[in-house]
Amino acid sequence: MSILKRVAEMMGMKQLPPLLPVGSQAPDFDVPDHLGRRVRLADLRGKRVVLWFYPKASTPG
Amino acid sequence: MLGASFDDAAANKKFADEQGYTYPLLCDTDRKLGLAYKACDSASDSWPRRVTYVIGKDGKIEQAIHTQDVAGQAAALLAKS
Repeated sequence: MSILKRVAEMMGMKQLPPLLPVGSQAPDFDVPDHLGRRVRLADLRGKRVVLWFYPKASTPG
Repeated sequence: MLGASFDDAAANKKFADEQGYTYPLLCDTDRKLGLAYKACDSASDSWPRRVTYVIGKDGKIEQAIHTQDVAGQAAALLAKS
């Protein structure tokens, strides 16, 4: 066990679950945005996309 | 750039207006996006974890990050891009 992991455990930090692996195909999606427009990942092919999840609108950070 | 939360369009529109965001904020009210991208564990979760992905031009995941320091993370991502 790495020292960092031990320190994190001692501080009561929760292990975060694994994310999708780097290099894997990003799952396609078709989700409405805040203006009611449909946003499809397939339509963004050829562009680099940053997708960030935040817990709640209008909260700090 | 795409933001995503489980909020409805009205809450996210308010957020976009307040913050001056000009890019889409996705309203993942059924949690399908959150589940597909492992930002939550169940369709009944109240909110997603702070997770950021960079998806390449070929549609493959380039980076997947549990965001801790939001401002620092954004700077780091920009530095790598």
